[in-house]
This record gives sequence, C-alpha cells and structure tokens, in this order.
Amino acid sequence: MSDKDKQILDQDENLMDHDYDGILELDNPPPRWIMMLFYITIGWSIIYGAYYFWLKEGNLQDEEYAQKSEQHDEKYQIATISSDELVAFTDEASLAEGKQIYTELACMACHGMNGEGNAIGPNLTDDYTLHGCDFQSAFHTIKEGVPAKGMTAYKTQMSEEKIQKVASYIMSLRGTNPANAKDPQGEKCE
Amino acid sequence: MENQKFNYDNKIVKLFILATLVWGVVGVLVGILAAAQLAFPVFNFGLEFTTFGRVRPLHTNAIIFAFVGNAIFAGVYYSMQKLLKTRMFSDTLSKIHFWGWQLIIVLAAVTLLAGFTTSKEYAELEWPIDILITIIWVVFGWNMIGTIVVRRVQHIYAAIWWYLATFLGVAMLHVVNSFELPISLFKSYSIYAGAQDAVVQWWYGHNAVAFFLTTPFLGLMYYYLPKAANRPIYSYKLSIIHFWSLIFLYMWAGPHHLLYQALPNWAQALGTTFSIMLIAPSWGGMINGLLTLRGAWDRVRDSAALKFMVVAVTAYGMSTFEGPMMSLKSVNQITHFTDWTIAHVHIGGMGWNGGLVFGMLYWLVPKLFKSKLFSEKLANTHFWLSTLAILIYAIPLYWAAVTQWLMWRNYTDEGFLQYPNFLETVTQLIPMYMARIVAGILFLVGFLIMVYNLAKTMAAGSFVNDEAAEAPALVLAGARNPMKETVHRWMERRGVRFSILVFIALAIGGAVEIIPMIFIKSNVPTIDSVKPYTPLELEGRDLYVKEGCYVCHSQMVRPFRWETDRYGEYSKIGEFVYDYPFQWGSKRTGPDLARAGVVGGPMYKNAAWHYNHFMDPQKMNEQSIMPNYAWLSVKNTDLTKTPKKIRAMQTLGVPYPEGYDEQAVEDYLTQAEGIVADLKASGIETDAKKQIVALIAYMHKLGRDIAEQPEVAQVEMHAESFTEEATQKEVKLLEGAEDLAAGEKIFKTTCVVCHGADGKGIGTFPNLVDDEWLHGNSPEQVFKDISEGNVAKGMIPYKTQFSEKQITQLTSYVLITLQNKENEDRK
Repeated sequence: MSDKDKQILDQDENLMDHDYDGILELDNPPPRWIMMLFYITIGWSIIYGAYYFWLKEGNLQDEEYAQKSEQHDEKYQIATISSDELVAFTDEASLAEGKQIYTELACMACHGMNGEGNAIGPNLTDDYTLHGCDFQSAFHTIKEGVPAKGMTAYKTQMSEEKIQKVASYIMSLRGTNPANAKDPQGEKCE
Repeated sequence: MENQKFNYDNKIVKLFILATLVWGVVGVLVGILAAAQLAFPVFNFGLEFTTFGRVRPLHTNAIIFAFVGNAIFAGVYYSMQKLLKTRMFSDTLSKIHFWGWQLIIVLAAVTLLAGFTTSKEYAELEWPIDILITIIWVVFGWNMIGTIVVRRVQHIYAAIWWYLATFLGVAMLHVVNSFELPISLFKSYSIYAGAQDAVVQWWYGHNAVAFFLTTPFLGLMYYYLPKAANRPIYSYKLSIIHFWSLIFLYMWAGPHHLLYQALPNWAQALGTTFSIMLIAPSWGGMINGLLTLRGAWDRVRDSAALKFMVVAVTAYGMSTFEGPMMSLKSVNQITHFTDWTIAHVHIGGMGWNGGLVFGMLYWLVPKLFKSKLFSEKLANTHFWLSTLAILIYAIPLYWAAVTQWLMWRNYTDEGFLQYPNFLETVTQLIPMYMARIVAGILFLVGFLIMVYNLAKTMAAGSFVNDEAAEAPALVLAGARNPMKETVHRWMERRGVRFSILVFIALAIGGAVEIIPMIFIKSNVPTIDSVKPYTPLELEGRDLYVKEGCYVCHSQMVRPFRWETDRYGEYSKIGEFVYDYPFQWGSKRTGPDLARAGVVGGPMYKNAAWHYNHFMDPQKMNEQSIMPNYAWLSVKNTDLTKTPKKIRAMQTLGVPYPEGYDEQAVEDYLTQAEGIVADLKASGIETDAKKQIVALIAYMHKLGRDIAEQPEVAQVEMHAESFTEEATQKEVKLLEGAEDLAAGEKIFKTTCVVCHGADGKGIGTFPNLVDDEWLHGNSPEQVFKDISEGNVAKGMIPYKTQFSEKQITQLTSYVLITLQNKENEDRK
C-alpha cells in the first residue's frame, strides 16, 4: 500500500476509486487538442464525401484518368509528326538508323534478317502488301501494329520519328530480292 | 467479508512465454531469409519449398500468429487472472488452447512451404486448418468469458475491454473471410470472386492488423505500462472514448488497401475517410500511455522494460498517423505496390508489437520467477540494437519506394516511359534490400541477447506453477443508481451486455461494405466478353496461387497513364467475376501481369519466352531476382481433379455448360497440345500434362478477354451443351442468308487471321477455296475440323468457343459463300 500512497501523494489530481490489481485511474478529461483533432477529421470526411458524391465536384476514378490522360497527350504533343512531314527518308544516315532500329527491336524475328519474311511474318521486299502500299500505311502498321496477327504496336516503345526511320528503311528494301524470300501475300502494289 | 483462497495459473503463462521466444527466433530467421532472397536470388535454393513465394507468407504468418500470437496469450493469461482476481476459468481449456495453437503453427509452417495456400494474405492457411483455428479461438474466448463470469472484481478493467474486442473481432473476421469450397483435403476455392473477394479479404486483412496487432496490444499496454511505471492511468474518460471509437471505425477502413483499383468509388471513399477518422482514436491510446508516464520518466531511463514500452507506444503513434496518410489516394499511389508499405508494417511490427512484447517480458519474467532481471545492461544493449534495426530497416525502404515510384512514372521528353523495362527499376533497389538484411540480423542478435538474458533470469529464480492468492467473493451490485453511476461504469460490471455491444460496434462497418458488394448488381458491372477459364487455364491459375506468384506480381493496372502505357488498359471490376480467389496482389516486386495475355500489348510474351523464363529467369535477364521454377517442366498436373474443379466452379456460379466436367479433361489436353506444338516449333520438347504448360496457358489468358478485338466483339461462349454425337452425325448446311451472315461474322473475326479474308490462306496456312483439301471437304469433315481442330498444325479446336449451330453456320459460309465467290473469280 505504501506505493499507492506515494502515488497519491505526488499526484494532486483527481484520483478515482478504481483499483485493478493496483492500477489506479485518474479522472482527467482527454486533452482538448485530441478531441478537436477527432472532430476535424470527422468534418473533413463529411466534406470529402460531399465533394465527390453529393456536390459531384471531384473527379471519380474514370473521369480523373480521362482528364489526366488528355493533359498527358497535350503535354507530349510535340512527338507527333504532321501528315505533310510523313514521307520516307532517303538519306543514308536515316536509313542506317532505321536499319539499326530494325535490329534493336528484333523485327527480324518475324520478317527475316533482310526483310524476306519467315513462317511468322510476311515478306517485306516484294511488291505485295497486306496493309497498304504507301509509306503512310507502313508507318501506320508499325505504329499501331496488327495485334490479331501478332504484329506488335510499337507506338508505346518508340517515338514517331524512329518509326518514320524504320519504316523508311523497310520501304527501301522493296525490290531487293533477298534469298529465301517468302511467297507474296496480299494485294499487289502498282 | 471473508477472503476466498485460490491459485493463479502461472504455468500456462510460462508455456506461452517459451513459445513466444522460440517462434520469435524462427519468424525473424525466416524474415532474414526472405530479405536475402530479394537481394540474392540464389537464396531461393532452386527448390520449390524455399522460393520467396512460399517463404514470405511463412514469415508473415510466423511473426503475426506464432510470435505475436503467443505473446498476446502470455500477456492476457497473466493479466486477466490478476485483474479479475481469479484463476482462469478452466485449466483444460487453457491447455487445449496452448497445444492447439502450437499445432496450428506447425501445420501452417509445413503446409505453406508445401504450397497449400488460399493466397489470401494473412489467411493463407487451407480449410482444415481454418476450422482448427476457429475451434481453438472459440476455446480461448470461452475460457476468457468464463473467467470474466467467475471473477471476484466488480468492474471489468479497460485492458479486458480490448481483450474482448480482440476475441470477438478476430472470430468475426476469420469466419467470414474463410468461407471456401473444398475440392480436396488441401485445396479449396474462396466462395467470393474478384472485387467481392477483394473487399472481404481486405476487410479481414486490415482488421487482422487491428484486432490481432493493435487491440490486444492496447490491452497489454493498459496493464503492463502502468504496472511497470507504477503510475495511475492518465484519463479514464479517454480510455472509454478511444476504445469505442477505435473498434467501431477500424472495421470500415479495409478498402484503403484497394485505392485506385477495380472497386466502386464509394467503397474507396469509405476506406479513405474512415482511415482519416482513425487518427485521433489511435492517438488516444498513445497519449493515454505516454501521459501515464508523467512524473515517471526517471524510471524510464533506468528500466529497459519501460524504454521498450515507450518506443512501442511512439512507433504506434507514428504508424497510426502514417497509415491514414497512406489512405489518401494521392499518397497511396506512391506507397501502394512499393516498399513503402513494407517499411510501414515493420515500424508497426518491430516497433509497436516487438517493443511491447520485449518490454512486457523484461517486466513479467522476473516477476514470475521471483528474481531480478539477470542483466539490465544486456537488456539495454538489446534495446539499442532493436531501435537501430528499425531505423536501418525502414529508412532504406522508404527511399526505395520513392525511387521506384519515380522511375515507374518518369517520361522522356519525347513522351515515352524512361524506364520501360520494369527490371531496371528493381535493380536500382538492390542496395536498399541489402541494408534490410543487415537490419534483420541486428534485430535477431538483439532478440537472442534477450533470450539469453531471460534464460539466465529464469535459472536464477524460483517458479511456482500455482501462485496462492486470496480475495473476497464478488457480490454483484444491483441496478444502476443514475445519481452515482454512469452508464458506462454500469456496463463495466455487466460482462455479457458489454460483449454484445462490442460485437454490434464491430459488425456494422463490414456489413455496410460487404453486403452491397455481394447483393447489389451495379457494384460489379459485368463485361460480356469475359469468359470463364478453360480447364487448362484454371489449372494454371491454381499453380499460380500455389507457387505464390501473387506475392511479387500484381494483377491490377491502376488508372494512371504511366501504368496504362507500361501494362495496357487499366483494370475493370467486371474482369474478375470468375476469379476465385482474386489475385490482385499487394506488392510489385515484379511487373504487373494483368495484361500478360493481351496479344500485341506491351506485356505479351510468347510461350517459348515464358518456358525459358520459368526455367531460368537469370539466363534471360541477368539481373532478374525471380526464382527459377524448373520443376514446373518436370511435374505433372493432377488431371483426376479437373472434373471436380469444374464442378466446384459451377457450384460457385461459373457458367460452364451443364455436364462440362466430363468434357473438361479432353479440352484440357487439346488446348495443352496446342501449346506443346507451339513450343515444339521453337525447339522445346514437353508434354501436355506438365505444369509449365498450364501456367503458360494462364499467362496467355490474363487480360485477353477484354483486349480490343480487331472488328466485332468476340462471340460468346455457347450456353447449350456440345454433345458427343455432334461430331459424328450428319451435318446439314444452312443456306439461309441469315445463317451465312452469321458464319461470315465468325469467319471475319476469328478465321481471317490465318485463312485470309477470301479464304485463300495466309503463309503456310491452308487455302480453303482451292480443290485441294487436306482433310476432305464434306460438310461433316469441315465441321469436325473446326470443332476438333488440328493442334499440331496450329488449328485451334473451336468447340469450346462456339456452339454447334455456330460451327454449322461457319461450315456453311466456307463451303457455300466462299466457294461461290472463288468460282465467280475464276470465271
């Protein structure tokens, strides 16, 4: 009991008549600030709910994505090439770079080392194409891909400028007659 | 009044303390192993039993249920008896509780390493163990409530309120989350699917943290802290307010584990707001603890026990502020899927739970053994090692989390992801993972010093199993006197009524979130193109669960541009309606796999790539930290279970056609042969029953159903059954314009890829309109070719995708329309 007495002595606060295995309790009110904090968080939660679901001010998940995605596209607009500029490069440097991209992205896995085609992808060197003859079509095929047939869309992996270069390289392959060329597929280009 | 004589049961407390020490060492060791595996994949040892996917769940289970669990029981059994001035209600129940719990732990360790898991975090154990847990938990509760009933003290003290909430809360959580449909002794399917399963699981998961790692510890704090400090509790009123507000609010906060994921906005908002409202109730506990130490801080300096308790309460305050901040959506996008969460839980686990257990043991063991602590100096060493370990653990992981998040979302000036290869963002973190190993070792060394210190203390002391005590019998006070007694004070002497109120407070949050998710259809908007798993894909999915792939790979693309650019379209609620259980994951140590089956998408890899990658990930990416899964190419799947699995899925509501279970094995093998043939073309020899084939099929299913189709949406799976005779009976061509148009539609969406729009065949695929037919051109033969396929040559069997009628229409289109066109062209 002496311990308890000592507690009471150096504690001139309102001790309650609670005693659990020697543990006493004081009748202090909770600190004001913690109660304030509690009320503030409750108020904040009501405002949060009202903002999104009653006033409908806040963007819900899908809208938020659509909006942010739009902003993203605006921000990086510079990367697209206008249709006027969308012509095949013919200079050596660009074609060499195009060839390098062709190797880096492993185009040969499906179209052969020299564009001759293999069991998976079509021959790129003949006069026939599956998805259009002009440069714009080649550009588009590389950019958007042909997912159903296994052609990857490369728009998420490289800039349009690079696509332009690799497409230019592919156009330059036309009529090269490599060995083991695959049989023509698709429409004939004039 | 005359005193009654009785004995306290100290032996049960001692048993639980010993178990705490043993499992604590084991749990920390397993944690160090897991940490080592993430920095050096060689520590996966190339064995299926020791891969990270199985070791990590073992670590969390061992720490939470074995180490912390036994510590809770030790603390509760000691303090309950003292606070209620009685022996535990039943020695038999105490013994069943102790040995039953240890049995559960051993079973858990064995089954988790063997790969028997439900994949639901902190609830991984399979159904027989779930039942055992329920029984043992009821034994614990029965013993506890029995003790309250036979008490010799008028009022129930605050510590016991928390113990009651713990018992009731965990019982509710465990039972509701563990509803599963068994198909064998060690395999079951959750009865909830997709988003519903996610809501139930994280209601459980979040509140396992609340009612296993928080409420019992607040109870322990309310007993051991004032005992060790010898000070009165600062505020009785605060005890009441923060008790009721905390247990009520906690149950609502589960959805904060699912922010920006495939969950209705309202549920996410509940997760966020209730987490924010939890700050003050949580801090109420911290404040009441710290203010209780007023005027006793000199004692803290001299006592390792009190030091640990102060660190524990401080860590609790930090975690319970950090948690609500992580529940804000804007913060959550950084902390979720990264190492931030890992650091957060270890502040809680090592600081709050570890600290309070250590503090309690340093006070309790000398008390039980009637001696002084062997060495206060060693205890101080333990304290500093432990505190240092927490810092070395958490700071590098916070750093890692922010680093990786920045790398995930960084774009080049051209507008492309700067680190499109996920692996680059992992390799960057390896030094931080190494620091974590150091932290784990420091923590373990401190732990072992404590074990030594306590063993010495025990050896020097004298222990009595039954400690004699006496107290007057309880004469229950009568009705409440409104002038003298508050309602709460009155309730404190009505144990059963108090428990019922606690139960109601606990039940509301879960009910409000779970019931609408299951019964209101608009919460789970379905997507027509999403089809059930084929038998092979289902088997692959079971393997994905078994190997613990979800531990490192999420299947949840969040609606951020930097995620959709990296993985593909963000995840929708309706995609997951056949996912028993859901596999969204909670940590991305590897890339998200939700779009692994989207042909042409950024995550797609062909079968040969997957095969080689499973066999030896480091061969393909030198810096990969993925374990190898070479046994997948050796072990066969158990096809005898396939029909049973299909029937179980039907019971759960998956719309396989009636009687499909009999067809399942055949379809399994046919689809598997297709993959085997595909692999063979790349020079890989395997056979259809190998596990690796099923897992590849599952990889290729992920996200495929909602991937954009070239033209019209895919044709729905046929509802009517596909009979055996169908392949033999006469096939009558359908010449009506409508049927031919339907056939054309199917042809143009499905067949055109290989046979060309005009049917002349692309590449090596056969021409359908020339005079040469590989398998004959009778309607019966063509019908059979389409329905059964020719997997060796790459022709898929379409009978699982189209109905008899649809295949007949297709046959008609090929033999009538296409042939006519060709004939006209030739003219």
